[in-house]
Amino acid sequence: MKKNRETKYWRGLSEYNKSDKFKHAVNLEFENEVETEEEGKSLISRRQFLSFLTASAALTAAGCSNYKDKGDIVPYNKKPEEITVGVPNYYASTCTGCAENCGTLIKTREGRPIKIDGNPDNPVNKGKICSRGQAGIINLYDPDRIKEPLAGDRAGNYAPVTWKSADDKIIQALNSASSTGKEIAIISNTLTSLTFKKILADFKVKYPSANLYTYELAGEKNFINAFKKSYGINNPQGTEFVIPSVKLGEAKVILALESDFLNTGKNRQENIKLFTENREVITKEKFNKLYSVEGNVSLTGLNSDYRIKLKTDAIEEFVLSLLNEFIVKKSSLPAVTKFAGQQGIEQLLSGFELSQFVKKYSLNSETINELVKDLESNQGSVFVSAGFMLSESTHIAVNLLNEVLGASKLFDFANGFFVLQENSTDEEIQKLSGNLKSGNVSVAVVIDSNPVYHFAKEYGFAESLKKLQTSVLLTEFLNETAHVCNYVLPVSNNLESWGDYKVRAGLLSLQQPVIYPLYNTRQRETIFLNWTKNDITDKQDYFLNYLKENWEKNFYPALNSGTSFRDFWTKSLQDGIVVTQDKVNKSLQFVNESFIQNSGKVKSSKDFAVVLCRSYSLGDGKFANNGWLQELPHPVSKMVWDNYAAISVDSAKELGVDSNDLIEIAINGNKISIPVFVQSGMADKTIAIELGYGRTKAGKVGSDKGFNAVELISKTPAISPWLYNNASISKASGTYELISTQEHYPIDQEQYKDIAIKRGIVREATLDEYRKNPGGVIKEKKIDGLNIVQFPSVNEDHQYTGVKWAMAIDLNKCIGCADCTSACNVENNIPVVGKDQVKANREMHWIRIDRYYSGNSSEPRATFMPMLCQHCDLAPCENVCPVAATTHSEDGINGMAYNRCVGTRYCSNNCPYKVRRYNYFNFRNHLADGHYEQDSVSLVHNPEVTVRSRGVMEKCTFCLQRVMGARQNSIATNTPLKGSDVKTACQEACPSNAISFGDMNDEKDALQQFRKHKLSYTVLEEIKVRPNVTYIAKIRNNNGNKNKA
Amino acid sequence: MSKFFLDYNLKVRLPIIVFTAAIVFAITYYVSYAERNGIGYTPEQPIKYSHNLHAGDMKIDCQYCHTGVEKSRNAGIPSADICMNCHTAARTDKPEIIKLKEFYDYNKPITWKRVHKIPDFAYFSHAVHVGKGIDCENCHGDMAKTEVVGQVHSFTMGACLECHRSPEKNIKDFSKLQEKFSIKKGPEYCSACHR
Repeated sequence: MKKNRETKYWRGLSEYNKSDKFKHAVNLEFENEVETEEEGKSLISRRQFLSFLTASAALTAAGCSNYKDKGDIVPYNKKPEEITVGVPNYYASTCTGCAENCGTLIKTREGRPIKIDGNPDNPVNKGKICSRGQAGIINLYDPDRIKEPLAGDRAGNYAPVTWKSADDKIIQALNSASSTGKEIAIISNTLTSLTFKKILADFKVKYPSANLYTYELAGEKNFINAFKKSYGINNPQGTEFVIPSVKLGEAKVILALESDFLNTGKNRQENIKLFTENREVITKEKFNKLYSVEGNVSLTGLNSDYRIKLKTDAIEEFVLSLLNEFIVKKSSLPAVTKFAGQQGIEQLLSGFELSQFVKKYSLNSETINELVKDLESNQGSVFVSAGFMLSESTHIAVNLLNEVLGASKLFDFANGFFVLQENSTDEEIQKLSGNLKSGNVSVAVVIDSNPVYHFAKEYGFAESLKKLQTSVLLTEFLNETAHVCNYVLPVSNNLESWGDYKVRAGLLSLQQPVIYPLYNTRQRETIFLNWTKNDITDKQDYFLNYLKENWEKNFYPALNSGTSFRDFWTKSLQDGIVVTQDKVNKSLQFVNESFIQNSGKVKSSKDFAVVLCRSYSLGDGKFANNGWLQELPHPVSKMVWDNYAAISVDSAKELGVDSNDLIEIAINGNKISIPVFVQSGMADKTIAIELGYGRTKAGKVGSDKGFNAVELISKTPAISPWLYNNASISKASGTYELISTQEHYPIDQEQYKDIAIKRGIVREATLDEYRKNPGGVIKEKKIDGLNIVQFPSVNEDHQYTGVKWAMAIDLNKCIGCADCTSACNVENNIPVVGKDQVKANREMHWIRIDRYYSGNSSEPRATFMPMLCQHCDLAPCENVCPVAATTHSEDGINGMAYNRCVGTRYCSNNCPYKVRRYNYFNFRNHLADGHYEQDSVSLVHNPEVTVRSRGVMEKCTFCLQRVMGARQNSIATNTPLKGSDVKTACQEACPSNAISFGDMNDEKDALQQFRKHKLSYTVLEEIKVRPNVTYIAKIRNNNGNKNKA
Repeated sequence: MSKFFLDYNLKVRLPIIVFTAAIVFAITYYVSYAERNGIGYTPEQPIKYSHNLHAGDMKIDCQYCHTGVEKSRNAGIPSADICMNCHTAARTDKPEIIKLKEFYDYNKPITWKRVHKIPDFAYFSHAVHVGKGIDCENCHGDMAKTEVVGQVHSFTMGACLECHRSPEKNIKDFSKLQEKFSIKKGPEYCSACHR
């Protein structure tokens, strides 16, 4: 047999190195010994057991009521007008999971929210929302939520109090603080709500000694400060200003510097959309080019066309070398004339020669040359994006680079980032920390954040809040900060609150509750409003009235909507957004001084660099108690339930460590011990750790998961709070087991390796190859000269006459973010299994993202491929089911009748794609003492999907409930069912619209352009199961392996 | 034990016992079939509502109360405020109406006894069936002539399939429906009802 493909794919380093462990593992069906529940000896004898059995049977029989009884039906007494039982309602609102404040559309059934999607009317996130936003719905029903106000003894014990008594005591403390002139410290995350800002201002009028401090664990502080300096924005503290957003869609070449703009970066949703719109082969051919220069391996890096690995602390040098290349060498770029000859600039740049730099870090000079050429030739449609962790000076240098490359032409002022209230400066936070310690503060109010966890021990927030006479925490869950506060007041969930948010110029996003507060909670605005006015009534609309009044007085008149306020308000709530005409700057002038004074200070060192990154799933730790997110495989490493220190292969060798070994990281006297994960593609001497893990008091699910890297953040960092290059690393004793889903369900088994390559599970080509020969990318598979797809079938074909459902996934658009997995979890009632069960390969995700590496282990290229049930026409699972529990429908869906399944698992064994999932336990009961089996959690379940229990097989159903819903509508309205009537949950959630779904029997269906495209293929088509999920081969905008080191 | 005794037991007694037991089982099985499927179940309701009076004599359309039947899987039991549309004025002196008003005024839920039930793992849709013109009567009996609601048809999977396979035998005026709604047969694949 001739090899068709040169590329060999590997999933992990053990496979790449062909370690003995891996060879052993691929021969086992299950990686680890299958564990069963503990089998201890029974405490009771057989005789006792029988007597208990008889007695209980007798009791049951005696207790039986009428066997015909079918229970009760309790209709509404006064039915809300908008509710029809069994039909969902949708409400537009705003997500408050982070400061991005995406617009949401919340699906409710009989008044309970069951799914959150993006608001399609929101011009920024356009109907999409991240995995946190999706999975965040379970936080509403989390049994760990605080149900009433608590008074804490600061030793972990809490006693319930009434709102009145808590309010009275706190107001008293506030009054005495303002009369004695002692400070009232209000600590919050980034403030984005207009009306809440006004309430806080009113609060300060009543209590003049109050001061507001806002912060973010991993915020855009450096970027914002740099931007302000670069463009001379000098607004007074606390006032609003706008930073232009970038029209990424118009950028032909993008350079990402340690920037994960496609996932954890700012403006993620819009970035993904704009970026992937330019990775198009279907309707037209359109490709941007992404260069990524990074030390850590980010999702953006793995999606780039060229990934250049570089130690993170050398990035400033790299930027300066590029500037040198353009400015000092007098490139033909038109913008250069503005800066060339400027003495300060040239002087600063003179020491940075690009060729020297390339040599120093042994980069591939061809790739760098190509980068320089691309940047130059595409001036005006180039953008350089810098990661949040880079220092202010690096950001300023990047701003200059963008100016030189004409990137400011892409600035979008009208759609810019609106900064309502800038976060406190480092000095202010230091001052707060000092005031708290010295006793100048007498009352501290923490609003829905967690400073004890978010600030390094150096700040001493835990001790000083504990000593304080009155420290109040407004929160949904008990956390580390609650432990040191004497009042813990429960705030309402996102879905129970009113609000108005402004994060973009010209756009306001409204938040409305979709459910009455489940517990005795108040929203944070209500609490502050009452502390100011002290006139709360029991009515829930206390804050709503204020909000409406504020809008009627302050916003409505300026909008000239031409309708009454009532109509305006109702319509705005329905839309979820209000578009305004903001006056914004039209252009900005770069301040050369900012560059001359600030840049060039970061010098790379020979020591280890430590990069602290944002978590892909837990945010700043806020989502730690969310099982769905803890179990969402990390997009890069596929790790679950933990964070780790990612380190390169060579550096691991140098330290003498392997994955799972603990290392000790010490920076400026701060130390943590954390397990190593050897991540191929990391720059040498660079360690990347995600923040947000290692919460000690997060709740039943999230406590003590992962390691807390916040402790490494120095109070006075030399470069940036999230980047250090003076770390000393040593091997610590012991190991810690990290669990990833990476090497599960191997479909590229080593012993079949040649066949697997021939099979071409993922297929790719470079843009040039594709342009030269579009049909040649998908090669025909032949065995002995015969096209294997056309081998005769032994089965008789079934004729599908009506609608036949099929899916297409465009691998050029898929970035591997796993938002689809999160959406599927919520839509289809997928249980959380826990780390121990993932270890036994028992994760339950119906759609997974397979990530295949190719290239070599130090510079891998990655291909992401969503893998779900392929709904094969000739499904091999169906043939082996002894009880016909899995069968095909007339519209081509491979279904599961759960109540018929007896759990033989033959189907899973026979599935070539390994997408079937088995309920080894009632996982809801199994995890954290049945945390997710408590009453409140059952409310999150989609009532249209069966909740599976122990002993049944399950898998993707193509969102059968949605298909059936569409069918029902088509019959009810007497219109023919079309492919476009159904959107699966994964498709709806996909931020890059990589997934299409429709009717393959309809020639006019949009799906056809995928199925008939020259790049379309199906996975494992040679085994003739006829899968119904079509993939579009990945095209890379690079020159293949030519430039690779 | 004598040889004769064993022979007699084996040849005569055992078959007779087994045969009798089988007959008894079979008869009980068939006689109690309807009962076991809930046919004839007529529980006492919190309010003595009469379909005969409302749907029969007064000819109120089913959908005046069962509002979800064309839009949703669930036909819906009417909320008390639907009753009160008329009964704020009509027949306010009758004892059952006084009871109803009490429920309504004090916002007490009315706990009706459930009569028709399909297991939770089957997803039956009223909208689909009514949308195809299948009359309520086919499953629920002639409600216009029913005083107290009881189950008249079996709601087992067998009963569903019976109708899906041979609708012409089970659905009233099926030929007319065929013309009007172009229906042929109900689906028989599992995922039509199970998901």
